[in-house]
Amino acid sequence: MNDPLARARALLSVGGWITLVALLGAAAVVVLALQFTPTEASQGLAQKIFYLHPPAAWGAMLAFALCGIASIAFLFLGDLRLDRFAASSAEVGLAFSAVMLTTGPIWGKPIWGTWWDWDPRLTLTLLLFFLFLGYGALRNALHDPRERARYSAVVGIMALVLVPFIHLSVYLFRTIHPKPVVLRPDGPALPPEMLRTFLLSVAVFTLLYVGLVIMRYALGLARDHAESLAGGDHA
Amino acid sequence: MPEIPQNGGYMVAAYICAGVIYLGYALTLWLRARSAVKGRE
Repeated sequence: MNDPLARARALLSVGGWITLVALLGAAAVVVLALQFTPTEASQGLAQKIFYLHPPAAWGAMLAFALCGIASIAFLFLGDLRLDRFAASSAEVGLAFSAVMLTTGPIWGKPIWGTWWDWDPRLTLTLLLFFLFLGYGALRNALHDPRERARYSAVVGIMALVLVPFIHLSVYLFRTIHPKPVVLRPDGPALPPEMLRTFLLSVAVFTLLYVGLVIMRYALGLARDHAESLAGGDHA
Repeated sequence: MPEIPQNGGYMVAAYICAGVIYLGYALTLWLRARSAVKGRE
């Protein structure tokens, strides 16, 4: 299949179906979370945001980490497909970040008594979100595909450095944000029915990431093809 | 036994926000991509 538009159409179809399956899976997670998991005694129903917020954070960090890794690979190999993947992952990561940054404060208000606190975990996460907004703006501002790919790769790599730092921030600093309850050295500290629903949610939102990235890659491929025909610009 | 806090409204708000963002992004992405692969963008 040498025609880029035919490849883009095939990728859009695959990505669309994966996204649809993931969204149906997300609906199943909502039913499981609301009907088949116990209500936590001290936090009440607000604790059920747990099945949304950490999986969104996982999706965002996965997206930004893979964007950074693809950016490093692009600088070594110069393959524009890596740049296209990095751009796709960054945009999908922004959607996951938007969920993380809205569900977090909604959870924080009833539990911490405040919507927001400028503590290291929250502040660094917001900074990462703004970094990737800047990444998107930079891509739109540059017209030469190779120049655009090179400059945005540098931003992607800078942002990659923040990802492990954000994960470790709850150990490195005094913070209002709780430490992980699943990814802990002693193993998960959750009842089995909560853990099962949570792991299903992580799997479903990882699948959603895959579906959305494939669709966004198809969009990038079609745009690059149009750009090569017109000799103009696109992302 | 301590009373369970009545804060279900926050849970509903969080689920609605997440649904709007995920569905909205997936739909707009699909529409943009469909338009681009048809050569309209």
